[in-house]
Amino acid sequence: MWHALLALAFHEYALAALVYLAYLVWPWKPFPAIGRVLVGSGLVLHGIALAAQGVPQGLIQGLSALSFLLLLLQLALDLRYRMPVIGAFLTPIVVAVLVPSVLLHGSAPTLPNSVRRPLLPLHISIALLGMAAFAVATGVAVMYLLLDRQMKGKRFGMLFSRLPSLGFLDELNRRLVVWGFIALSVTLITGAYFASGIHGAVWVWQSKEIATLVAWALFAGLLTARVFAGWQGRRVAMLTMAGFCLLLVSFFSHYPLPYDVGLR
Amino acid sequence: MTELLCLGLSHQTAPVAVRVQLALAPEQQEQLLRQLSTHRAEAMLVSTCNRVEFYLVAVDVQQAKTAVVDEISARAGAAATAHIYEHHGDAALVHLFRVSSSLDSMVVGEAQILGQVKDAFELAQRVGAAGGELTRVCSAAFAAAKRVRSETGIGRAPVSMASAAVELAEKVFGGLTGKSVMMVGAGEIAELTVKHLRSAGASEIIIANRTQQRAEALAADLGAVAKPFEALPMLLVNADVVITSTASPTPLFTPESVGPALKSRRFRPLFMLDIAVPRDIAPEINQLAGVYAYDVDDIEKVVADNSAARGAEADKAEALIAEEIAKFVRTRSVRDGVPVLALLRARADQIARAELEKTLSHLGEGLSEKQRRSIEAMAIAIINKLLHQPTAKLREASLEEGISRLAGAAAELFGLEETPSPSDPAATAQPGRPR
Repeated sequence: MWHALLALAFHEYALAALVYLAYLVWPWKPFPAIGRVLVGSGLVLHGIALAAQGVPQGLIQGLSALSFLLLLLQLALDLRYRMPVIGAFLTPIVVAVLVPSVLLHGSAPTLPNSVRRPLLPLHISIALLGMAAFAVATGVAVMYLLLDRQMKGKRFGMLFSRLPSLGFLDELNRRLVVWGFIALSVTLITGAYFASGIHGAVWVWQSKEIATLVAWALFAGLLTARVFAGWQGRRVAMLTMAGFCLLLVSFFSHYPLPYDVGLR
Repeated sequence: MTELLCLGLSHQTAPVAVRVQLALAPEQQEQLLRQLSTHRAEAMLVSTCNRVEFYLVAVDVQQAKTAVVDEISARAGAAATAHIYEHHGDAALVHLFRVSSSLDSMVVGEAQILGQVKDAFELAQRVGAAGGELTRVCSAAFAAAKRVRSETGIGRAPVSMASAAVELAEKVFGGLTGKSVMMVGAGEIAELTVKHLRSAGASEIIIANRTQQRAEALAADLGAVAKPFEALPMLLVNADVVITSTASPTPLFTPESVGPALKSRRFRPLFMLDIAVPRDIAPEINQLAGVYAYDVDDIEKVVADNSAARGAEADKAEALIAEEIAKFVRTRSVRDGVPVLALLRARADQIARAELEKTLSHLGEGLSEKQRRSIEAMAIAIINKLLHQPTAKLREASLEEGISRLAGAAAELFGLEETPSPSDPAATAQPGRPR
């Protein structure tokens, strides 16, 4: 039943992705509105399905929740800043990410009691929110680099008129990275708390932890350079992408604790 | 018979690198015009940053053409001659009308070109290279341009170099509110761009000019601050948008010269627009991080994107020009037919006067004043009645077929003298020119 809702939402997202991509080629006025309605109604169905399943505990559920947050953020930004072009960059990726969640549905793995602590939903939610913020920041960084290339090369393609300004994209990237960084810091601290429950130690040197720590250090450095050295533009966009790749490594490294991903 | 010839290259045929080599100083232009107008030819040279065009009126245009092509290949290399276009006769006429009306401009509808063509004509006049035909052609072209400007929306079209530049600057910064703009040098498009940037929100306008008085006059005009030209590298530190439009033969800004300023700017983006030819900004500057350097050719690409919006007004302007061309061609034909008519009438008048004199002296004192008058009136009436039909026919024919066969026939029938060259009557009004 809940899975049917997810499948329905998935189809709406897929349609929205097509609409957003079509908008890039053919700037028909109703396209952005259609995309927003499809994503919005998909989010409602998706949200109900997620709420019914409770705290996401397997990779599949995690991806589904991440997709939900990502699209929610996308829709909020689109509505706030009227930039439907962002849908063409994020929605197709979300659709791809959701495929396993739609095809493979199983019940979530049961977590060992050692991790079942009261703060677990908070830890997971904040971690996913951070991931979503960084994912959108990466999408924005890609948009920045594409526009920067067109501005430098003076080849004004279809994207040129649809993309917001470089200044706006850079500022949006800054805000998203700040919020993502805060979420990531909280995740690291609460993560340590749960790690102590599993491993008996606050910190273990495993790929997930290392990747997260390196990403954290990278974003910390990035924000410092922004504030104190005035870094902005291209290099910030590229570093954002690099940081997000590290977070992806972390995300897919034996997610979640323990290893069972809930495939049946 | 003389012919009008237009030879040249413009932003539509030649890249900026070639046009730069053909940008001539006024003294060079004068010298060239003197050279070209020696062999019974009239010449005018329109030289702007987007075009170099020679307008020639000569009996033997081939000779004049060879001289121009040689000149171009001497200055810009033989390869440059591949970019040359040529228009003969009425096609050249149409081209001049379109150029003057700003229909052939990179930014269609920009107002500067008419002034530039007028300057070119004045220079030709001063040098003595513009004769009667060029004078008539140019004044008709200027009148057409004036009509195009006042009767179509082409000059008001928002698509202009200035708004295209503002659009690009906004693509870099988002809003322009609070941004600092620096104008180096002066010129219509630069000033217009500054005004557009200001109305888009730019708060600080700085003007740097080689002549301090000019800078201060402009600053007062634009509500800006004049700064000494020598402070240019320092001024670059605070500017967000830089517009250059100087006559400097070498670039003002090179990666080496802006390096220190960029370092102090840290990574704040900088938008630079180069309207000058030759360029004020070395193209390599565009490679620097956060610097977006554009020149007139680049702006054209943005403007071309929006060209559809001004289509209707441009069509209206084209129709107007066609109308003006038709009018010009018509009066030219009438003018060409007129010498025969004038001669015919003069001959008839002369005969009538002579016969009257003879008759009146024969009749002696016996006539009353009233009778004298009647005889005079009769003689003139006979001439008028006799010439009425041929006059009407000659006019009609000249409208239809240019210099008509009928005019030639009339000249022969009435034993009129050889008609003078069509361009000569007006040429007498011109200051003596070397022939």
